[in-house]
Amino acid sequence: MQIIKDIIETLQNKSPNKVIDASTQFNQQLQIILKSLLQATDNINAALISSADGIAKSQVAANPMDEHRFAAMSSALLALSDNLSKEAGKGTAENVLIESKQGKIFILHAGPHLLLTVFTPAAANLGMALAHARQAVHQINALVEALTP
Amino acid sequence: MYKIIFTGPVGAGKTTAIGAISETPPVATDVPCSDDTRAIKATTTVAMDYSYITLEDGTRVHLYGTPGQERFNFMWEILARDGIGLILLINRDHPNPLQQLDFYLNAFSEFITQTAVVIGLTKSDLQDNNDITTFQDHLYQRNQIFPVFDIDARSADDVKILVHALLAVLNQ
Ligand SMILES: Nc1nc2c(ncn2[C@@H]2O[C@H](COP(=O)(O)OP(=O)(O)O)[C@@H](O)[C@H]2O)c(=O)[nH]1
Ligand SMILES: [Mg+2]
Repeated sequence: MQIIKDIIETLQNKSPNKVIDASTQFNQQLQIILKSLLQATDNINAALISSADGIAKSQVAANPMDEHRFAAMSSALLALSDNLSKEAGKGTAENVLIESKQGKIFILHAGPHLLLTVFTPAAANLGMALAHARQAVHQINALVEALTP
Repeated sequence: MYKIIFTGPVGAGKTTAIGAISETPPVATDVPCSDDTRAIKATTTVAMDYSYITLEDGTRVHLYGTPGQERFNFMWEILARDGIGLILLINRDHPNPLQQLDFYLNAFSEFITQTAVVIGLTKSDLQDNNDITTFQDHLYQRNQIFPVFDIDARSADDVKILVHALLAVLNQ
């Protein structure tokens, strides 16, 4: 979790005149988390962080993606999955898994206000991809917590 | 299966209207707002609202509400599939309701051509001047004559008027 420590340190050392940049800086830190996620594993080749209401915050991908549409679709899918899971007596959904011939897509909650969507290549190891995605979620949560007064 | 779609801008009262006439706790997919919608309300629909009502003759009518924001327009298409008609809600307290009316009539034009639409002007209870002719004239200029009603989306009776008007148009 060295990245997170570094991120938190930079954010906490912010001088007051830099406060205006807090959200830009936050998005930059999200970008760092995503880049290191893609560097850490071949099982993920694109990732997107978005708000619960479907607005793209940060994305990293080998090929360009339509992050605005993907963010909106991720939030719609996860919200419906939460409903189904709750109504089936299983509590809120931790993640949604879409398995397709050319790859898999995970949509995960990252705290109450953010989502992480990861995309895998066709040959990816599902367990490894999910484990790395979960680690990124922990990093996002730690970042958000560090910034919440 | 009878399926009616509620659409319209953010804050027009789609989630409220479906909740008002629903016979069961509706499926709602509202989450906290993070965009400029936050100035209007705290939560917003990201997938759909769903519920149903049963008519006097026992027919069940399924009600689907869309998200308002354009970034969710993929849901508009998904939800409109196999729908029998549209209820378009436009909030009167918007600075430019006619522009909103045009936007949603255009976005759903194909669906409307194939089915039918009725228009509910919501939040009329918050407005002093409830001149409905502006809207009727505007529709006339668009060469589209659709039923228009002033409603309070929180009132079950008001929302039922829209549903029955839509069914009446469809039965013509
Ligand atoms: N006074 C009044 N408030 C309304 C009316 N329709 C909706 N509201 C309120 O407007 C807010 C937004 O409504 P909502 O159903 O979430 O709008 P949606 O975005 O179209 O789903 C809620 O707080 C409702 O209670 C109406 O006709 N009159
Ligand atoms: Mg709504």
